[in-house]
Amino acid sequence: MNATIRQTVRAALVLVAVGALTVALAAPAVASHVTVRTSMPSAGAVGEIVPLAIDLHTPGGAPLSGTMVTYYLHMSFAGVEGHALIGRAVTDDAGVASLRYQPRTTGLHQVRMDYLAPGATTVESVVATFDVAGGTQLVRSAGGIDIPGINPGLLMLVLGSVWLILLRVSFRLVAIARAGGADVPPEGDGPR
Amino acid sequence: MATLSGWQERLEETALAPVRRTSSRFWALVAAEVAILGWGLYAYSFQLRDGLVVTGMRDRISWGLYIATFVFFIGISHAGTLISAILRVSQARWRTPVTRIAEFITVVALICGAAFVIIDLGRPDRVLFVFIYGRWQSPIIWDVLAITTYLTASIVYLFVPMIPDLALFRDRLKGRTSRWRAWLYRTLAIGWNGNAGQRRSLAAAIGVLMILIMPIAVSVHTVVSWIFAMTLRVPWNSALFGAFFVAGAIFSGIAILIVVMAILRRAYKLHEYVTEKQFLYLGYLLAAFAAIMIYANINELLIHGYKLEEGAGFHLRQLFLNDFAPLFWFYLIGGLFGPIAIVLFPATRNTRGIVAAAILVTVAMWIERYVIVVSGLRVPLMPYAPADYAPTWVEWSILAGGLALFALLITLFTKLFPIIAVWEVAEDHEATVSAFEVTSPAVPEMPAPSGGTYS
Amino acid sequence: MPPERAATPESSPRPWAATIPRRRLLRMLGLGALSVAPMSVLPELLRTVGPGRPVEPVEGSRKPATTRDGRIRQWTMIIDLRSCDGCQSVGGPPRCTAACIEGHLAPEPMEWIEVYEQELAGDGTRFVPTPCQQCQNPPCVNVCPVGATFSTPEGTVLIDQDRCIGCRICMAACPYDRRFFNWGEPPIPPAALLADYSAEHQVPARKGTVMKCDLCPDMARAGTLPYCVQGCPNDAIYYGDLEEDIATNGRVVVAASRFLAENDAFRQREELGTKPRVYYIPGHGEAVGRDVLSPGRAPTEWPWTEIVDGGVTWQR
Repeated sequence: MNATIRQTVRAALVLVAVGALTVALAAPAVASHVTVRTSMPSAGAVGEIVPLAIDLHTPGGAPLSGTMVTYYLHMSFAGVEGHALIGRAVTDDAGVASLRYQPRTTGLHQVRMDYLAPGATTVESVVATFDVAGGTQLVRSAGGIDIPGINPGLLMLVLGSVWLILLRVSFRLVAIARAGGADVPPEGDGPR
Repeated sequence: MATLSGWQERLEETALAPVRRTSSRFWALVAAEVAILGWGLYAYSFQLRDGLVVTGMRDRISWGLYIATFVFFIGISHAGTLISAILRVSQARWRTPVTRIAEFITVVALICGAAFVIIDLGRPDRVLFVFIYGRWQSPIIWDVLAITTYLTASIVYLFVPMIPDLALFRDRLKGRTSRWRAWLYRTLAIGWNGNAGQRRSLAAAIGVLMILIMPIAVSVHTVVSWIFAMTLRVPWNSALFGAFFVAGAIFSGIAILIVVMAILRRAYKLHEYVTEKQFLYLGYLLAAFAAIMIYANINELLIHGYKLEEGAGFHLRQLFLNDFAPLFWFYLIGGLFGPIAIVLFPATRNTRGIVAAAILVTVAMWIERYVIVVSGLRVPLMPYAPADYAPTWVEWSILAGGLALFALLITLFTKLFPIIAVWEVAEDHEATVSAFEVTSPAVPEMPAPSGGTYS
Repeated sequence: MPPERAATPESSPRPWAATIPRRRLLRMLGLGALSVAPMSVLPELLRTVGPGRPVEPVEGSRKPATTRDGRIRQWTMIIDLRSCDGCQSVGGPPRCTAACIEGHLAPEPMEWIEVYEQELAGDGTRFVPTPCQQCQNPPCVNVCPVGATFSTPEGTVLIDQDRCIGCRICMAACPYDRRFFNWGEPPIPPAALLADYSAEHQVPARKGTVMKCDLCPDMARAGTLPYCVQGCPNDAIYYGDLEEDIATNGRVVVAASRFLAENDAFRQREELGTKPRVYYIPGHGEAVGRDVLSPGRAPTEWPWTEIVDGGVTWQR
């Protein structure tokens, strides 16, 4: 009698242990099977807005919608390197998240996309690269005032007119000097 | 016409007298003026050697007495504009005896004003950069253009109506004065002998100039005000600055004219020509412009005071209650209400009272320029404690030197040139006399304006 | 009209003017009337009418700093006020100011980057390191009569002390209190006398001219960060390029536009329309443990001047 009970309990314990082990092993396995596909622009240029797309599906093939994807771009400036946040996107019903991004440097861009799958406890990332060609100047330095119409030409016009009038006055003085040789009229000659 | 020629003789003698005789008092005055000017130059040598650190100006209050005095002198230069131009256009005959001095004050004041700007520069050795590298967009360049134009026009406007009087000097002083003086009068009289052609040209020239000089003068002080108004300082950020400054300029110009005329009248016995009437009318003008200034001040202060934007509250407190209160109240009461009161009450409405009012106004207007400059810069831009400014001995000495230069140039002028516009005064007198003549209307060939204000 | 002079006998000899040949007389009088002041206006009239010198590369520097594909850098600075405590935790004068003073040999009492303490709308204060705001509509450049201060293609505002005439209208025009004048002969260490003067590296200082923060474009072009950025112990100051949309504080790199947008960046005295290139992330030092109600910072010092003979100093 006792031996039978002991055997049954041992079998049950083993079953429970195997069951727990299976479940324990299976849980992450379920999450780590999210299918990820990225779609990077093939020909982008500085200043053009390009989509950086990521596609998330469960292992069963169902799209993973409503998941926030955070995009980081590897950047380097003044000897400091790192990943900088460039945007966020949420996967839609088709499981696709797309960030519209305007590249600002040339060369190889390395994008890291982080997402937290539902049920998972750690953030997962995927890295993709794309190339960017050169473009035109996007930001310009303004510097100074520029009001159309109010330009130095207008100032010179006003100033020139004044000085021309002064010049005409000087001609009057010349006329006075030249008339100095003329005879003096008798008394009683009227003015102007 | 015996009385007329006798009157004419007296007028010409009065005009010639300063040039004929020079008293020792004159030389003493010149010596004093030269001494003060020399002291100012000595103080300036310290500034040239050590830099502007010898002044009281610092980073937070970076303009002070020099710029205030510059604005003051440019303001004074509007004496000529009002008297010579505006009143000439309106044919106010009472102004004729004082025109010459008004025009000369204009020229001298512009020269002194320009001098103070150069004194204020950190690198006066680079002053020519203003002409070589000048930028059209800068208010300082507008200032340079305007003042240069105004100086040229004023010199011409001083010279042209003086030609017949210079001819008088040339003829009457021939052989009785030094060679260089004879040459000076001969050259400057450019062959004037009063024939019809010359008189036509002269009339045309004066006619053009008196109209032209008015917009030039208005533009000069407007442009000077824009040096302040084109910045973002709260007390200066006002659309009213241009008109405010022009009104203030004419106001201080009238005042300095009254003061200078009073002095010259006493010194050269001009009582017959510069009578109480001139002082009275100038006094009325002074009071009128004081009223305009009060109106402008009410506009500025009330508009800012009603709203009390940030900075405006600090500024009004420093003007009325705190650091600048004594100066500002003196300006308001002594400089603005004082002249009105003096002209209002019959007891003070005479030459003496009006000269006192003019002295008050001159001092008050310098104070007002000083307060505008310093209090404007004192309002803090960022969170720091407001700085203080007090002029040093170098600045006061240079101010004294500048005033001495002003006085010296006028003093020397009176010894060289006719201080009364002889032919214009004579012309007015003839018009007055003939207007009262009962004889045939063929006599007067002078244009007698109707409704003229004759005594 | 003026009375005739014919009555007197002295005028019977011919007037002086009539004895001179007409052409010569005309020339004399014409020149006399004309020569007074047009000499001053003429050079300006004849010069090519242009904007003067508002946007141009610095004389003597090669070309503007560019990205790899030749676009001109647009330098900017972003100051994260969440990390600035006025160096209260350091226990000394603000290190950004100290580094700048040391690196540029700024004469006393110039603080090209100055840490102001601003009162907040609620209770408390915050520290605001304020370099030259490098405005895109700079009041100082607008009013300079000789173009001594000018905007560069990189968007910085520089001063050429070889051209400055010391009129100080730029100091009246700057609404941020960021310009400083050499009132006296500034102290100059011997090493500075040998330095090649450039508007990007204002050494040696010149008496009678204006100086200010230049955003260290010479260092940025070479790929190093300015003194203030390096000096900050809390990495509160970011330096960047708006053209490449990137900024760094020496430790991390950020995408500038996103960093500014997501952190509600603001600029000082925005309503004045100066369009500064220096941005601020609102805060009061909370990220480095500062309590908003703890006021006061240590006063700035100029230790390098003690080793130099000569030169004078003055108050702000």
